[in-house]
Amino acid sequence: MTTLLDVRDLTVRFALPKASMFGPRPHLEAVRQVSFSLDAGRALGIVGESGSGKTTTAMAAIRLTPASGGQVLFEGEDLLALDEEGMRQRRRDVQLIFQDPYSSLNPRARVVDIVREPMDLLEIGTPEERLARVKELFSLVGLRPDQLNLFPHQFSGGQRQRISIARALTTNPRLLVCDEPVSALDVAIQAQILNLLARLKAELGLSYLFISHDLGVVRHVCEDVAVMYLGKIVEMGPRDALFDAPQHPYTQALLSAAPSLSRRKSKGYVRPLKVSGDPPSPINPPAGCAFAERCPKAQAICRQTPPVLAPLAGAGGASGPVQQVACHFPGPAAEAA
Amino acid sequence: MSALLEIEDLRVTFRTRYGEVTALDSVSLQVNAGETLGIVGESGCGKSITALSVMGLIPSPPGKIAGGSIRLNGEELIGVSPARMRALRGSDVAMIFQEPMTSLNPVFTVGDQIAEAIMLHQKVSPDQAFRDAVALLDRVGIPSPDRRARDYPHQLSGGMRQRVMIAMAVSCRPKVLIADEPTTALDVTVQAQIFDLLNEIQRDFGAAIMLITHDMGAISEMADRVAVMYAGRVIETATADDVLDLPQHPYARGLIDCIPTLGRADHALKEIPGVVPPLHLLGKGCAFADRCAYKFDRCDAEKPLLTDHGRHPVACHGAEEGRI
Repeated sequence: MTTLLDVRDLTVRFALPKASMFGPRPHLEAVRQVSFSLDAGRALGIVGESGSGKTTTAMAAIRLTPASGGQVLFEGEDLLALDEEGMRQRRRDVQLIFQDPYSSLNPRARVVDIVREPMDLLEIGTPEERLARVKELFSLVGLRPDQLNLFPHQFSGGQRQRISIARALTTNPRLLVCDEPVSALDVAIQAQILNLLARLKAELGLSYLFISHDLGVVRHVCEDVAVMYLGKIVEMGPRDALFDAPQHPYTQALLSAAPSLSRRKSKGYVRPLKVSGDPPSPINPPAGCAFAERCPKAQAICRQTPPVLAPLAGAGGASGPVQQVACHFPGPAAEAA
Repeated sequence: MSALLEIEDLRVTFRTRYGEVTALDSVSLQVNAGETLGIVGESGCGKSITALSVMGLIPSPPGKIAGGSIRLNGEELIGVSPARMRALRGSDVAMIFQEPMTSLNPVFTVGDQIAEAIMLHQKVSPDQAFRDAVALLDRVGIPSPDRRARDYPHQLSGGMRQRVMIAMAVSCRPKVLIADEPTTALDVTVQAQIFDLLNEIQRDFGAAIMLITHDMGAISEMADRVAVMYAGRVIETATADDVLDLPQHPYARGLIDCIPTLGRADHALKEIPGVVPPLHLLGKGCAFADRCAYKFDRCDAEKPLLTDHGRHPVACHGAEEGRI
């Protein structure tokens, strides 16, 4: 299996307003030395709560947010080192689906023009070929050819997300970055779009960098999962290992917090692992582990030394990455404690 | 068990540019003391309109309660004087809104806002009301409540703001608490905290909760009974276990099957094809017919009514004739 995307020590810093005119400019590290790799034909899910840096990581990886450090190797070529024109040409391999299908489509353009625009910009094919490609994509994503000349407002949320997907596919990309592609949709429509994404991945051999806060959605779409907390990956691994045997207390908390049909009030269900409070501010992150304040297992060392993402002893599958965890005390959740 | 809140044949219409549309059509629900009724459905199915009707907050015009009755503790709420409604609202029935960011006043401290609600309904001094507000903030799990009570909403996180909303809603110990998607804007770990808090509040205060959500997972964890709504009607209602384990209506079944679960999932998700039809285009048949795999002639001709065909009330011709 070939590695499509290899992200090494990616760091993103945002400048904050100065406290005083002559004082130093404070910075916020939204993404702190994040490394992961994505094999061709696979999907990596990045999960985390708001402010965890999952979107910033993906945007920096495809150079839509400037990174302040690290490397992003796309088929061995460092995207961060490319010049403007080189990156522009690379964009045909990397496309993006946004969260909000309402604000990500130009309300004054007909959808045929919206879907064709990437080809116009990258000067792919003749006008006739471009139109033929738009029609082909329309049927691929489940839209009708008689809808080509309509405007975005004439479509429902799910259909608009199909238009976004068609637009992202025009340039035959290898990598699709999906930023919460279904969280703005109703549950019944979510399933339609998730099935479409799964089908496209299999048919076109796409790779996904899939950002979501919904663990059920990620489990459904992605082979590998990375859990982010306050700008760092705290646990990463193949889907089943991570969901069946989560090692980091935060992953365990996320899993126990996600509502599930198997937890019934009638059966007296009480959440076993409670996490109190909110994530700390990224402006002044704690010295040790960022999760220590909320962690049921935290010891003195957790507040002093940040844990490093390291492969789990004994982990290792036939394919894909091994399970890695950044925790001083990894292990199954203490049930009764 | 006595019904604390009884909604019967409620019909709400809105004047729109397509003419008058029926947003709620013969909706009947009841919430008993101490229980949680979950109302579930896609956007536009009438969940929030039901809640607003109970609160007497339907914007009118263009909205209008065209028929039916809403009884709280036996007292009819439809047609009641605005003064009486104001007295009930907050003290007997209170509501937690979806958006804790926009439903708090940005220019008053949260302590003052809770105290205001207390003073509207109870004869207490401002100082006492503020002390009560601090105690409530403590009760809903806000750390250092006496300091936080002097904070403005923008100084609090989303989860804390929703806790403030809950503190305000329970300040006068309402008998019925309506929670309209209380956790949609929140992260999952915070959502879990809010759900746990609502359950605690229910145990301590004995309030009946009407939980409005689109998430069957939330229903499973929170609700005793469930009403599934579609296009302004209740299409199935039963205990949470019955609806989740033995859904009768194809739509209820679809809502449960289309959730990506945390369990192993290598199969394709079941889809509900199509979208909710716009209310002004509803025909005389079943509103779900066009999306339904079990549709037959009768579904287009006649609107199914909510009736019990042996298991629990469901509005479906297919279930009635044993085709599903």
